[in-house]
Amino acid sequence: MSSSTIQVTSSNELSVPGSASRLLIQMARRDIATLFRTPWIIISRSLAFIIQLFVFAYLISRLVVSYPNYFGYYAVGAVVSTVASISFIIGYDIFEEAEEGLLDYLLTLPIPRREFIIGRSLGGAVRAMIYTIPMFVIVAVVESFANPISILAALLDLFLIAFGVTGLSITVAVSVRSANRFDVVLALLELAVTRASTALYPFVALPFYVQALAPFSPVSFAADSARQALMKSSLDVLGLAGLAAFVVIFLGLGATFYFRRLEGGVYA
Amino acid sequence: MIGFDKAGKRFGTLDAVKEFSMTIHDEEILGLLGPNGAGKTTLMLMMGTVYRPTSGKISVNGLDVVQHPNDVRKMIGIAFQDPRVDGILGAFDVLNWHLKMTTNLDKVEREDRVEKVLRAVDLWDARNKRTWLMSGGMRKKVEDCKVLAQRPKIAVFDEPTAFLDVPSRLLMWKMIRELRDEGSTVIVATNMMDEAERLSDRVAIVNLGKLVAIDTPEQLKGKTKGGEVLELTVGNGQEFPRECLTQFSEVQDVSQENNKVTVYLSGGRLLLPKIVETLTNRGVKINSVHLKEVTLEDVFLNYTGHKLE
Repeated sequence: MSSSTIQVTSSNELSVPGSASRLLIQMARRDIATLFRTPWIIISRSLAFIIQLFVFAYLISRLVVSYPNYFGYYAVGAVVSTVASISFIIGYDIFEEAEEGLLDYLLTLPIPRREFIIGRSLGGAVRAMIYTIPMFVIVAVVESFANPISILAALLDLFLIAFGVTGLSITVAVSVRSANRFDVVLALLELAVTRASTALYPFVALPFYVQALAPFSPVSFAADSARQALMKSSLDVLGLAGLAAFVVIFLGLGATFYFRRLEGGVYA
Repeated sequence: MIGFDKAGKRFGTLDAVKEFSMTIHDEEILGLLGPNGAGKTTLMLMMGTVYRPTSGKISVNGLDVVQHPNDVRKMIGIAFQDPRVDGILGAFDVLNWHLKMTTNLDKVEREDRVEKVLRAVDLWDARNKRTWLMSGGMRKKVEDCKVLAQRPKIAVFDEPTAFLDVPSRLLMWKMIRELRDEGSTVIVATNMMDEAERLSDRVAIVNLGKLVAIDTPEQLKGKTKGGEVLELTVGNGQEFPRECLTQFSEVQDVSQENNKVTVYLSGGRLLLPKIVETLTNRGVKINSVHLKEVTLEDVFLNYTGHKLE
């Protein structure tokens, strides 16, 4: 009898996968790894952020005299709105995977659906965090934020908004079937969530029609909460609670819609 | 053992698979033979828990695919017809990640296995080349290698040798047989007759979402009327006098498609002169005569009434 082409000596027994939690982490790491495959994007976006901060924010803060330290206000808000924007990317990834058939492959892997969905959300959120950390560090250095508790609280705000927006993005990605409609819906939603908020402009300065929306934007919760932690060294419990609710609602919705699509909709 | 019990799958108003019943034995290579759109891929994806059956039951080693999808997925590895690989990754990373998800091998074992399988299919030197830059054949090899490296209990290959050159096809068949010899149950969906015949222990003929026949290639050919096939090409537009051939007891069936006439018969060599004489006497112009053993293509034609194209 001829020998095997692949000399599998160490584990000749047929293969079995690892635990569900290990697979969840692998799934999350897959999404995180996509970021490092194109490091130039992180570098170019960080440079764009530096320009935004030291040209636009610097200039406008000199024009805005009625609001004390508007530069600091803008800088923290810009980090929060950036993490929210990046978190939307997971929706594009999932939509693309479904269109290219890669999702079929992922669904054959021996990971339970629940862990699959949590892994994707976690990966998307952590990816957005990693992407935003350099910007956060720049702001912390420029504004001399040194209180570790305040920094941790602000990072928690960033993570919660990232996690929640990831859930929102997944919900849209699995609910809208047409590619063109998906692009438009997600772009408008991103615009509404990040711009109709108090992230970059104080509430009192917003036009009345944006004032009507801004208090309900999760980005407002995150930006105001992060600013309170970093600039006033106090915890915005209400803001954190609002963010936590946003995470629970949209991760739950995202997971439910995703699960339904995988188990009962297009793939049923 | 894998059992399909009146399994069906409906997409909107289209029945992709209908009342499909079949048993796949442990450690056999089952060839699913059928034209594109016959339902082969749908069958495999239902078994792999990607699609949920709309009727009937499918069980894998006693586990219902709807009730125990996670346990079923742990046993199965699927190589898709169109490579489903992350284009931005190289072959090494694609396989390494696949093994992370499907096996509990440690890093050293995993990388060792990836290296062996890539060397075996001559892709080691291109291991870091992004798969979207690879040729169709190379990408197909990477797709097949996922399952070859995984060594699952149930290995599924959808058109495993599409885009591959002849030496690569033969190598892939060898590696698939080795997988079976190690204890895997292997399912190969194909629309290539020679692949089904040379690779499979048994062949299931699938057409329009239904199981048409299942047996060993030899048995299927043996069951086909007569065991021999006479192919005649007659003059264009000429009406063929079917009854003048069916008068012979050795002739089992006659079918005509345009100017090509297929005669299923036994004892063809002895009967051939008589057939030619009879037809010539009836004024039929015979352009060519070809007597051959039954092939799976004839079996498919016999069961479905049309050629596999």
